[in-house]
Amino acid sequence: MLPLSLLRTAVNHPMLVELKNGETYNGHLVSCDNWMNINLREVICTSRDGDRFWRMPECYVRGSTIKYLRIPDEVIDMVKEDVMQKSKGRGEVRGRGGRGGRGRGKENKRMKIVEIRM
Amino acid sequence: MASSIESYINKMVSVVTSDGRIIVGTLKGFDQTINLILDESHERVYSGGQGVEQVILGLYIIRGDNIAVIGEIDDDTDQGLDFQNIKAEPLNSVVH
Repeated sequence: MLPLSLLRTAVNHPMLVELKNGETYNGHLVSCDNWMNINLREVICTSRDGDRFWRMPECYVRGSTIKYLRIPDEVIDMVKEDVMQKSKGRGEVRGRGGRGGRGRGKENKRMKIVEIRM
Repeated sequence: MASSIESYINKMVSVVTSDGRIIVGTLKGFDQTINLILDESHERVYSGGQGVEQVILGLYIIRGDNIAVIGEIDDDTDQGLDFQNIKAEPLNSVVH
């Protein structure tokens, strides 16, 4: 399982993000991208020493500044279904298509998937 | 390269981060930048004065930038450790 797939699954869940500078951000994940840049809403920011707090309606965090993300335990069980399905589909197309697979039309590819599933 | 981390998947691992923390958990995944997924993780806080304090953390994504060392933990050895009586100074952070 890829860390970014897990993060994508965590959209709309609460999370805690600690930055490299020690500040922490608690909020709900709105969106994320392949660089781990994230959008949070209803955020509480805590200073490095933990004695100052700021509340803000939303914030954007650059991925490269993140140290770690703490995610609700149940999210890992939700990844399994959709990521597995996606990667399975992709793998099969790639595996079968191999050489010359790219040049073919969509219909051909779709037929191949059906073939394998049967 | 990364295939050596592959062998740690679903095993208990210990991660030393560049800020000197030690996080132990089950490795569920990683990517090319060594971002990690640790499930059921906890931090082991070492101190010179008293035993090791274990802080439950849960499900974690640790960004690769921040990782110094990853090692597999031998469950039998680990369960035999008496953390109450292990005293050690905490690690310093990495010097860049």
